[in-house]
Amino acid sequence: MAVLINRGFKEKFLGLAPLLLLYFLSVTETDTKFTNHFEILSFELQLIIVYYWKLKNPSLLGNGHIFLAGLINDIITGLPMCTSAIVYLVVSLVASYIKNITVNTSLFSDWFTFIVALFFSQLVYITLISNFTEISFSYIDIFYTSFFTFLFYPFFWIVFNQYRTIVLGKRDE
Amino acid sequence: MSTGRDDFGIAIRSALLQKGAKQKFSLFFLISLSLIVFFLDNYPSKFMDRARSIFNDGIYRVSSVATSPINLISFLNSSFKKHVFTLNENKVLKEKLAELESQKFQNQFLLTENKNLKEIIETQTEKNYSTVISKIILDKDSPFLKSVIINKGSRSKIAKGMPVIESGYLVGRIVEVNYLSSRVLLLNDLNSRIPVVLEPSGTQAILTGRGKIKPSLLYLPDSYKTKDDSTVYTSGKDGILPSGIPVGNIFKEDNEFLVELFSNPSQLSFVNTILQNPKNMKEF
Repeated sequence: MAVLINRGFKEKFLGLAPLLLLYFLSVTETDTKFTNHFEILSFELQLIIVYYWKLKNPSLLGNGHIFLAGLINDIITGLPMCTSAIVYLVVSLVASYIKNITVNTSLFSDWFTFIVALFFSQLVYITLISNFTEISFSYIDIFYTSFFTFLFYPFFWIVFNQYRTIVLGKRDE
Repeated sequence: MSTGRDDFGIAIRSALLQKGAKQKFSLFFLISLSLIVFFLDNYPSKFMDRARSIFNDGIYRVSSVATSPINLISFLNSSFKKHVFTLNENKVLKEKLAELESQKFQNQFLLTENKNLKEIIETQTEKNYSTVISKIILDKDSPFLKSVIINKGSRSKIAKGMPVIESGYLVGRIVEVNYLSSRVLLLNDLNSRIPVVLEPSGTQAILTGRGKIKPSLLYLPDSYKTKDDSTVYTSGKDGILPSGIPVGNIFKEDNEFLVELFSNPSQLSFVNTILQNPKNMKEF
């Protein structure tokens, strides 16, 4: 009995890892922007986390948590409230849509459809920032961030896939 | 054809509205809520300002605590490196000290001469501002905003627009004030514009952030040629920043005049906010 409870707790705790990582990136100073060291290297790991886990195990990443992580990220980075929340939710929406219309997915199909999620999320982001705020931004920086986010997706896909199969021992929901 | 459209409609409706898979809120509800909060936040109102201020203070503190273990690791790492390189540093410092000793007498002479000359032209030498020292509690890079959070806010009489310095060098200015914390917009941010004067030529320009570590100078005369010893100071032309705060050294790169800041924006720990009359800040 104790072993069963222990196993259940362990599984539950390990299942929280994607959510904890998402909150960790939003709450702490840690980020994936390396522009101070490498001129253009910057990517959004949060978008990769949201897209991958909404596609593979939506139950591990609740919509409410995605919204809250985005809201915290906005407050800490100084963006208008809910800007990142909307971006994450758009990525989540595309992932849910893709999940609804596909049966078997592979790295390449996920990677390809991730372009759609990135395109719509950045489109919404640019529309909101340029039309409703006075914040200046550089289109080229957004392009580089999106490009590197897209480029690094397969690496994190493999890492998360390994985690899911080895640690969680689960298949797609 | 219509079947395809129906499939799309069903799939998107399902993605937007479903609350299965242990989801408590539908995406439609959360996207709508986000849009409402976004628009409320962008249109100034006392309620939203107060709500945001409370949110900011709370989340900055939580974030500061959550980041402290990471900061401790980087602090231990830098302490270790410092310890290892102390011997070499000591050697270099001894050489510098000898050099400075020789310059000391020359400087004393220049100081006396400068003081006498100032007395002659009746220049006011005393600085007419006071400062508040504050600690950087958060330094998170955003893709577009280069800013830091300090642990002093309106309780310490900080107001929007006040200049922030580190070791006497300009770092940025206050753009957001909460009760217990404030946000400093750094000089290298895309939204930063500071009127400056280049010495010794006395040329006026605008220091503009580029989102990169080195800001650039705009509106320089076409005939302007940089000199090795050119230094950038605040001009005070905007009536907000005091004049004469050192900013950095000018250099030319790819036909653009850039400024090597005296204070590295990515290495800040403690800063001073120059307190000014809040009435002056209203224009800001």
